[in-house]
Amino acid sequence: MAAPTDRELLRGTLDMLVLKTLSWAPMHGLAVLRWIEYATHERLEIEEGALYPCLHRMEQRGWLLADWGYTDQGRKAKFYRLSAAGRRQLSAEVSRWQHYTETIGLLLSAGPAT
Amino acid sequence: MSRREEPSLMRRVFRLPESRARARRALDDELRFHLEGRIDELVAQGMSRHDAETEARRRFGDIESHRTATLAIDDQIIQEHRRMEFLGTLGRELRHAARSLARSRGFTTAAIVTLGLGIGAATAIFTMLDAVVLRPLAYPEADRLVELTSPVPKFKGDTLWGLARHEAYYFKDSSRVIEDIGVYQNTEVTVGGDGGDRPAERARAVQASAGLFRVLGITPLIGRNILLDDNRLDPPTALVLGYGYWQRRFGGDPSVVGRTIDIDGFPMTVVGVLPASAQLPDLQVDVWYPANTYPEQPAYNNHTWGAIARLRPGFTAADAQRELAPLTARLPDLFPTAEPPQFVEHTGFYTQVRPLRDVVVGEVMTRALWILFGSVLVVLFIAAANLSSLFLVRLDARRREIAVRAALGADRAHLGAQLLAESVLVALGAGLLGVVLAAVGLRVLLAIAPTSLPRLNEVHLGAAGIAFAAGGSLVVALVLGLLPLFGSSLLDLTLLRDGARGATMSRRRHVVRAALVVSQVALSLVLITAAGLMVRSFRNLRSVQPGFSADGVLAMTIAVPAQQYGRDYGKTSAFYEQLISRVEQLPGVVVAGVSEKIPLRGSNLCTGVNIQVPDSNDLVGDCPSTSLISPGYFEAMGIRIAGDPLTWSGMNQHDGRMIVSGAFADLHHWTTRDAIGHGMNFQGRDSWYRVSGVAGDVLADGFDKPPVSLVYFPMLPIAGGRLWGVPTEMNLVVRTKSGNAMALAPAITRIVSELEPAAATANATLMNTLVAKSMARRTFTMMLLGIAAAMALLLSVVGLYGVLSYVVGQRRGEIAIRMALGAQVAQVGRMVVGQSVRLAGLGVAIGVVAALASMHVLQSLLFGVKPTDPLLLGLSALLLIAVAVAAGWLPARRAASIDPAEALRSE
Repeated sequence: MAAPTDRELLRGTLDMLVLKTLSWAPMHGLAVLRWIEYATHERLEIEEGALYPCLHRMEQRGWLLADWGYTDQGRKAKFYRLSAAGRRQLSAEVSRWQHYTETIGLLLSAGPAT
Repeated sequence: MSRREEPSLMRRVFRLPESRARARRALDDELRFHLEGRIDELVAQGMSRHDAETEARRRFGDIESHRTATLAIDDQIIQEHRRMEFLGTLGRELRHAARSLARSRGFTTAAIVTLGLGIGAATAIFTMLDAVVLRPLAYPEADRLVELTSPVPKFKGDTLWGLARHEAYYFKDSSRVIEDIGVYQNTEVTVGGDGGDRPAERARAVQASAGLFRVLGITPLIGRNILLDDNRLDPPTALVLGYGYWQRRFGGDPSVVGRTIDIDGFPMTVVGVLPASAQLPDLQVDVWYPANTYPEQPAYNNHTWGAIARLRPGFTAADAQRELAPLTARLPDLFPTAEPPQFVEHTGFYTQVRPLRDVVVGEVMTRALWILFGSVLVVLFIAAANLSSLFLVRLDARRREIAVRAALGADRAHLGAQLLAESVLVALGAGLLGVVLAAVGLRVLLAIAPTSLPRLNEVHLGAAGIAFAAGGSLVVALVLGLLPLFGSSLLDLTLLRDGARGATMSRRRHVVRAALVVSQVALSLVLITAAGLMVRSFRNLRSVQPGFSADGVLAMTIAVPAQQYGRDYGKTSAFYEQLISRVEQLPGVVVAGVSEKIPLRGSNLCTGVNIQVPDSNDLVGDCPSTSLISPGYFEAMGIRIAGDPLTWSGMNQHDGRMIVSGAFADLHHWTTRDAIGHGMNFQGRDSWYRVSGVAGDVLADGFDKPPVSLVYFPMLPIAGGRLWGVPTEMNLVVRTKSGNAMALAPAITRIVSELEPAAATANATLMNTLVAKSMARRTFTMMLLGIAAAMALLLSVVGLYGVLSYVVGQRRGEIAIRMALGAQVAQVGRMVVGQSVRLAGLGVAIGVVAALASMHVLQSLLFGVKPTDPLLLGLSALLLIAVAVAAGWLPARRAASIDPAEALRSE
C-alpha cells in the first residue's frame, strides 16, 4: 500500500498532520498516530519513530506544550497540546497546503494544448 | 485545561527535565510507553506476544536513530532554557538594582562621581603613559631603531658627542648587526622671501644623509627623498619640504616641486614633499636638505652628527654595542688623520648604542609618568575604598531585606549576583563618566603641558584608554560587589529573629571600614609627601641664582644672509652695532647686546683653545664652550663681571679683550686676579687675545645643572685672530624697564628689515619664558602630583567623615546614656574627634613608614631636598591630623546635640 512517494510527501506534511490532530485534544504520541490512522482510514503508513523528533522539535519551537500525565489505564505518558503559536502555525500550513493543492489541481485539470 | 504559554518557575524547577540525564530518562519512558502500548494493542488484536513485538518494532523503524535525533533536539531545548534563565536572572537583578539605586539618588550620585573622578584621572594618565612610554615610536618596525653616540668620559663626564660622518659608513659596512645608518644635523635656515607676500623667514631644517630616509622608512608624498648623489654636492641643491611647512608656507601646492627656493642665500630646488608622519624623533622639521656626506669623503674629526641606525631583525641595542666596541677601537688605525691614537687616549672615546625610544622619551620622563600613574592608581584605590565603605553601610541598612531573601531560599551566589548588579551599574556609570572626564582632562593636560615633553602629539584618548577605563571599572565593580560577601555572615538568619542591630556583623563591617580609612590616610600621606617634595624641589630651583637676571629681558634670533655677510667680519659686526644702537633708542629699552649663545638655549659644543700663561712660554690646551658677543651683552643679560668689560671703541680698535666665565677660571684654579692677563687663542691661530674680565657663572644648561665653563670672544676678531666663522646668526638680548618686553618685538623686526631686507628674525621670547620652559617638565610633574595628592586628601576626608557619621549614628544610644549620666557636651565631642584622630593617627604612622620606604623613587626628580625630608613628613602628618579633627567636628556636633531623653525613647 505504502508507495515510497507517500513517505516523501509525508516528510514535509507530518508537522501539519500532527498539529491538526492535536487541535482536537491533548494526546500522547501513540494516540496521535492512532488518530491519524483512523482519520485517514489507514491509508498513510508513517514510520512511527519519526514522530518523536517531530514532536520534540515542535515543542522546541513553542508550537506544542508538553506535560506528563496519566492515561485512562493509569499509565504515565507525555501529553502534547497545541499552544497559541501552534494554532497559528496550523492555520498557516493548512492554507498553504490548500493553495498548493488547488494550484496543482488547476494544472492537472487543464485540457491538452490545442 | 489551562493554557499557559510560559511554564512557570515552579514547573521549570520541578517538572521539566533540565539536565541531559533527566531528559534521556524521560525520552526513554516516552518511547517505552509507545512501544508497549502498540504491543498491547496488537496482542489484543490476536497476535502472539512475540509477533506483536516484532511488528511494533518494524512499524517504529530504527529506534536508536530516532532516539538520537530526538535527544539532540532535547539538548538544544535544555541549553535554550538555561540561557533564558540566566538572562532572566541577570535582567531581573539589574532591574532590581537599577530601581534600588534610583531610590537612593544621593548614594548613587556620590558613588558615581567619586569613582568617576578616580577612573577619569587614572585613564588620563594611563593614556599619556601609553602614548609616550609604552607605545613604539611612529616609525615602521621602530623597535629596531637605535641611536649611536660617542661618549667622551675622560674628556667631560656625561658629555655625548655625535658620530663623525666616515664612522657611519665604516660601521654600516663592517657590522653584521646594523642594517643601515643615517646621519643628520639639526639647524635653522633662512628661507628667502619671494618678493611678494612671503617674506624671508627662519625655518627648522635638518641636513640629512640619504640613509636617514631609509632608516626611518620615510616615503615621500610627492617627488623623491634625498639620494646619495644629492649628498655629494657642496653646496647642496636639493630640498625636501616637511608636510606642515608645505601646508603653511606653500598652501599645500603640489606644483612647488621643481621650484627653486633661496635657502641661506643658496638656490635649492624642491625635489619632494614628505607626509605628515615623516619627522625626526620628536622634532617637527620644516625643510630637509642633503648633508655633504658620501662613502669616499675624506675622514674628518667632526663628531657633531646625530646618527640613527636600523638593526637587522632579531638583534638588540646591546648586541650592536658589543659589536661596535672592537670596530671603534680600530678607528685610529683606519683613520689616523681623523682620530689619532692620542685623541682616543685623551677622550676615552667609544660608541654607545641606545634604543631610539629611550633616547626620545628619556629616563626621567619615563620615571615621572610611571610615578604619576602610580599616584592616580592610589587615588583610584582611595575612591574605591570610599565607595566600598558606602556599600557596606548600605548593606547594613538593607540587612533585613537580604535576610528575608536568604530565608526564602536565595543562595549565596544569588545574593552575590544581586550585590554585583548594583556595583556593576555604579561602575558602568562611573566608567562612562571617567572616560568623559579623561577626555576633558587630557585636553586640559595637553594645553598646559610643556612643549618640551616628548611625543605629546601622539597622545589621544583611544581604544587603549577606553579599554583601560572599562577594565578598571570592571575590577572595581567586582571588588565592591563581592567584598561584603567575604568574612561577613550575610546569611545570618538570626537577623530576622531579633531584628536588632546584628551587633557582631556591624562590628565586623566597622573594622573593615576603619581599615579602609586607615589605608586611605596612609596612602594620602604618601602622595602628599611626594607632592610636597616636588613643590620644595621647585622652590629650591626657583631660588637658585642662575647668574643672569631674566626679568624684563627679551631675546630674539637675528640672522643675516650668509651669502653677503659670511666672509666679512667687519660688515657683520657693523650691522649688529647699528642694530643695537637703534634698538637702544626704542622707548623703555635700558641696554641691548648680541651673543652667539644665550642661557637655556643652544648647544654646548666646545672649541679647542690654547692658553698662554703670563711671563712664561707654557701653553695649556682646553676645549671650553665659546660664544661671540658684542659689548652690552653682559649688561643686557644681567651677568656680573669683574675686571674690564668689552667696549665698542675697544672692540672696533681690536684691543684683544676677552672674558672668561668663573667656572672656566675655577677649572684652571685661577682667582679673578690670576685670570686677568692670561692670553688665549684659537688652536692654529697666531694672534692672542687677553683675558680682561671674569664673568659670573651662568647656569646655561638648566638651574639644576652645574655652571657652564664658557669663554666669550668679541664678535669682531683681532687681526690674525680670525674665529671659526663669521657670526651671521646672533641672539639679540634687550633689557627693558617695563615688564612688557615682548611688545618690542615688532619694532625690532622692523628695524632689522630696514637695516637689511634679507635678514630674518625668529624665536622672539622672554628670558622668563625660557626659564619657565627649562623647568617645565618638573613643574608639570609637580602639578599633576599635586592634583593627585589633593584628590587623595579630599577623598580621605570624605571617607573619614563618612565613617565617623556612621559611628555617631550607631552609638546614639550609648552617647545618650553617657549624657544622661552627666557627660558634658565637650566630652562627647572630644570622644568623637578623638576617634577620628586615632584612626588618622594610625594611618599617618603607616603612611610615614610607607613614605620612608618608597620616596627614593622620586630621587631623580628632586632638587635640593632629600626624599626622606623629616620636616616635610612632619608637615604632611600634621596636615592629615588637622584634617582628621576637621572631619570629626561635624559628627561630633551632631553627637553633642543628641537629646538623651528622645534618643533613649527611640531605642
